[in-house]
Amino acid sequence: MSLAASAGALLDESAAAFLHRPGISITAAASDGRNVARIGRCLGCRVAADRTRVTVFIASVQYQTFFDALDASRRIAVVFSYPSTHQTMQLKGSEAEVGSLAPGDHEIIARHVDDFVDELGRLGYARDVVRAYHWCETAEVRAVTFMPAAAFEQTPGPGAGAPLRRTA
Amino acid sequence: MTITVDAIRRCLEGVIPSTIATCAPDGTPNISYVSQVHYVDSSHVALTFQFFNKTHSNVLANPRATVIAIDPLSAARFELDLEYLRTETEGPLFESMKAKLAGIASHSGMAGVFRLLGSDVYRVRAVTPLAGQQLPLPTPRRNLLASLRACSQVFERCTDLGALLEALLAELEAKFEIRHSMVLMLDGAGGRLYTVASRGYRDSGVGSEIAVSCGVIGVCAQQKTPIRIMHTTAEYSYGRAIRESAERAGMGGLETAIPLPGIADSRSQLAAPIISAGRVLGVLYVESPEDLRFSYDDEDALVALAAQLGVALRAMQETEDMHDSPGPPARRGAPSGGAQVVVRHFAADDSIFIGDDYLIKGVAGAILRKLLVDHAREGRTEFTNRELRLDPHIRLPDLTDNLEARLILLHRRLAERSGALMLEKTGRGRFRLCVNRPVQLVEVPRS
Repeated sequence: MSLAASAGALLDESAAAFLHRPGISITAAASDGRNVARIGRCLGCRVAADRTRVTVFIASVQYQTFFDALDASRRIAVVFSYPSTHQTMQLKGSEAEVGSLAPGDHEIIARHVDDFVDELGRLGYARDVVRAYHWCETAEVRAVTFMPAAAFEQTPGPGAGAPLRRTA
Repeated sequence: MTITVDAIRRCLEGVIPSTIATCAPDGTPNISYVSQVHYVDSSHVALTFQFFNKTHSNVLANPRATVIAIDPLSAARFELDLEYLRTETEGPLFESMKAKLAGIASHSGMAGVFRLLGSDVYRVRAVTPLAGQQLPLPTPRRNLLASLRACSQVFERCTDLGALLEALLAELEAKFEIRHSMVLMLDGAGGRLYTVASRGYRDSGVGSEIAVSCGVIGVCAQQKTPIRIMHTTAEYSYGRAIRESAERAGMGGLETAIPLPGIADSRSQLAAPIISAGRVLGVLYVESPEDLRFSYDDEDALVALAAQLGVALRAMQETEDMHDSPGPPARRGAPSGGAQVVVRHFAADDSIFIGDDYLIKGVAGAILRKLLVDHAREGRTEFTNRELRLDPHIRLPDLTDNLEARLILLHRRLAERSGALMLEKTGRGRFRLCVNRPVQLVEVPRS
């Protein structure tokens, strides 16, 4: 993927489009300050207009250990993978902030879950299982916002792990 | 209550990819999808190490890792708190994961990309269920422990190997709904396995051979470990290519005239080693046209049955050796009528042809030749396993070779291929050659 970035942003337009691609799978990890990372499954993402900040949505009741870890370190990694092609990118950042959902976020989440269920359904997965896996009480979903400081190509293959770009 | 890994094995079937989070020594987190979290035992799992990636370098420096695994039926989620121990790059665990990964790769369009470099073994510190919606589990069609118990009863009632194998495969169908199965025995000296019983195939394939190390069955025998594939892949299928590679690898003389039984649309395969006193005696193999047909529980059941089979084989051989008193005195069999049958024996490979039809070669061929020579010379029809074992012309590969299995093979091939000659078991370690038509044995010397 081309990552020729606009001024100030790590992500270029095609990378931002990839993060928003319908059917994308998103999972985050935060380190807990004692060098153990905890996982939070994401229910969608929102990239700021200037592409300098990325927000992911995570259900706090299910992934409390993730939020505890994030509180301790504020360091986050988020992997985005498109199931049918395995195209994968990981973003890393620090100073992540946890906040409430903004207007429109509930719609992003609902659409993300629908699209993901469709994508996996097309690949032969049981739709009801995929939907149950993404079940959440929307009141418990938190918005986690961070500034990507590094992006890594993670598509399976010899190039996996190669840095795409780092901020200075 | 502590949950052990075996309680959540269904989450580790690789149906829904798991995620793993690690942490670099400087505290930077890393998150990655993982093709396979493999169940090792109740407190260990192994993850596929496929590329030199951040996950691997992180755990080498900081062994703590977290995995989230999902139940593919209920959508229940579990957090596994792991500690990296070591990476294995060969041996049973590695080969078992390699075979499974090949299936996953083939199924997900990543054949040739997913390649196992190592099996990263982790200790499981804790398994924690995560909150969330769960779907009700479908009622299982049967209880596999009850099926295993019912299947085990064949070992109580069968006293001869041929009947035991037949009953076992029939019970696998009746109690496990496994409709395609076979038992192969190891030819210790030849590095090959020969089919001695099968069920659910158009042709029995008894007498067919494969090289040890080839495909699911061969790797199972070589590594003494069960191999289970949930989406069959060309890499492990028994096509012509696998035979040719065996030939290239110096496995000349592999039986090729008798095709290995197999279903054309095999999607799931499971092979369990038959082991006795540390030695592999053979392989119990099952397959299905369905993806994801065999679970960890099926694997446990098959491994348990294969273990019982190993004990039974050994016990039968010892019993046979104890009862190896000379058979009934040689007597001339009843004269047989009908047209004469020409049986040709080729010394080069002990192959036997009845008329123009190929029957068998190798040890089983040498056995039949001895029976026919003795029959022609002395009119004998009654024989003992012991005299076969001692006969220098038969060249059993080693003393522990399962002669009974060779006789079952010969018995089945004769029953399938010839009405002129039959073998009949007449007691422990004894059998009869039934010659139903006049036989002319033609010896073809080595050229």
